Amino acid sequence: MFDLPPPAIFLQLSLNGALGGAMYGVAAVGLSLIFGTMRLIFLAQGAMIILAAYFVRALFQSFGIDPFLSLVIVVPVGLAAGWLIYQGLFRKAAAEEDRNISLLIAVGLMFLAENLMTVVWGGNTAGVVTSYTASGIHILGIRTSFTRTMGFLIALAGTGLVMLFLRKTLVGKAVRAASEDMTAASLMGISPHRVNAIAFAIGIALAGAAGVAVATTFPFNPFAGFIFSLKALVALALGGIGSVAGALAGGIILGLIEAYVQFFVGGSWTNAVAYGVFLAVLMFKPEGLFGRPYKKA
Amino acid sequence: MRWTYWMWGVLAVALALLPLWPGAVDSYAFSFLFFVFVYAILAQAWNLIAGFGGQISLGSHAFFGLGAYATAILWSGNYLWGSLYDSHPRIYYFDPVTMALSGLVAAVAAALVGLPLLSKLRGDYFALGTLGFGEIVKVLFINGGTFTGGAFGIVAPASTFETLLPHYWTGLGLTVAVAVGMRLLMRSRYGLALIAVRDDEMAASANGIDTLKVKIAAFAGSAFISGVAGSLFTYYLFHVGPDSVFDLNWMLLPLMMTVVGGTGTVMGPIVGAFIMYAVFDAARILVPDYHQVVSGVAIILAMLFLPKGLTRLSFGLPGLMRRG
Repeated sequence: MFDLPPPAIFLQLSLNGALGGAMYGVAAVGLSLIFGTMRLIFLAQGAMIILAAYFVRALFQSFGIDPFLSLVIVVPVGLAAGWLIYQGLFRKAAAEEDRNISLLIAVGLMFLAENLMTVVWGGNTAGVVTSYTASGIHILGIRTSFTRTMGFLIALAGTGLVMLFLRKTLVGKAVRAASEDMTAASLMGISPHRVNAIAFAIGIALAGAAGVAVATTFPFNPFAGFIFSLKALVALALGGIGSVAGALAGGIILGLIEAYVQFFVGGSWTNAVAYGVFLAVLMFKPEGLFGRPYKKA
Repeated sequence: MRWTYWMWGVLAVALALLPLWPGAVDSYAFSFLFFVFVYAILAQAWNLIAGFGGQISLGSHAFFGLGAYATAILWSGNYLWGSLYDSHPRIYYFDPVTMALSGLVAAVAAALVGLPLLSKLRGDYFALGTLGFGEIVKVLFINGGTFTGGAFGIVAPASTFETLLPHYWTGLGLTVAVAVGMRLLMRSRYGLALIAVRDDEMAASANGIDTLKVKIAAFAGSAFISGVAGSLFTYYLFHVGPDSVFDLNWMLLPLMMTVVGGTGTVMGPIVGAFIMYAVFDAARILVPDYHQVVSGVAIILAMLFLPKGLTRLSFGLPGLMRRG
């Protein structure tokens, strides 16, 4: 048997995993909303996150706007962009029974975004370096990075706001009703196009928030988004498709799994383990780790 | 309408005779057509499981990659005939046994994975599961050590490449064979059962169809076709690597071509492969810096304005174009 590393290592791994996983989580919350109302696997979510990261970087470099302050610009822009993307690209496809069409539009949007970014900003790895990028706090022998902690807080706040919106407002309740049963919801007078557009607007706004977190924490390139989409899907399945808090928790669990596998097994196996867990959850607990089993019809 | 059969038959014969035209073999159109064949075969494979079977698979690139790797490993390791002709390393270029085995490897993998996936998962969950499966296979091959060549992959014995002629004829032959096979299959008991499962699984099962068996057979058949296409691609590229043959585009592009051509039609995948590959290649030549941007726009426009597929536009072309 191998010697167990000191407990501080476990604490450090858990912290890193949880902080990094929150970013998968916030991407998964957006996917969850879009999947809920439209039954669409929005593969372009990761590309939207990277696009937002480039936008944050441009704001920082051209106008000197602090990356975290740029949330007040990025999130409203994301809301508007999401609304426009739905009305312009998905409105017609959402009415079609064949859902391959919306999936392919998402793929087309991903290609378009990835390559526009390459044309505009080049294909090289980019990053945002501020005065506080390298700063961190030491507590109990473990080190937390300031930017990662901020990213975690952004994820928590974003998820919290979405949950409040879904629970407390009438429009939010309409979105939840439509996720449960679109036919019944439209019979109650809920417009499918309106809820779909709202889900999209919130989803892209969350991608914007995640973009701020990514820009300040990781180096990124135009094609880094797709792996984010995949990881967000895993987080979504872990947390239970359709649950907002579950999506965030799923992201954090995925981050923990990755951190531990990376340390104990090796970096090249993290993806295999992540997708293995994904398959196992889909097959044996499709309602997610926290969901109650569906009643059999 | 018999004349559509004649039309496609004449087209196939004309394409088969094209290399006899002076200069045709070295022309750009020749390699263009070869790629159209590869994509048409892949699109047919995806259409079998998703178009006719109704099970949206997002893992078909894994079977393409498995077939490509199987050929590269069998070929470069001289596994098949090495013991028979021991001291002479015999290179079997376009060895039909190797190609069939490559398809078989993919089909066996599909059957093994399909058993749990297809019995447990339906609809979107099956799509997500196959997507995860594809990524797992890729990581397994990256970590495969000397057997799979790790992250670099395997270089095939390259001395035999002289002309694209065998690729072209094999590609054309496979495209025709798969289309004819699809046509016969969809007229058979099994094909009808598959369509019944797609349209209403519960009703199909109530009428005595073993739905799981039918779905697994379609999944394995689709993987077989993808695997043979992968084998053909290895003979073209002479190198397989996890990032090249397990690239998601080997699933996304055939998917798109099928939808553009017409999902669940026999000729739709071929028409879609030809048109979309022509668009992509034109963009690559005309606007090399922006060609991927053009591809993205092309996909979106095709889906916005042709959601039902080209072959379903009412040109009054029934027969081969008809659904099922």
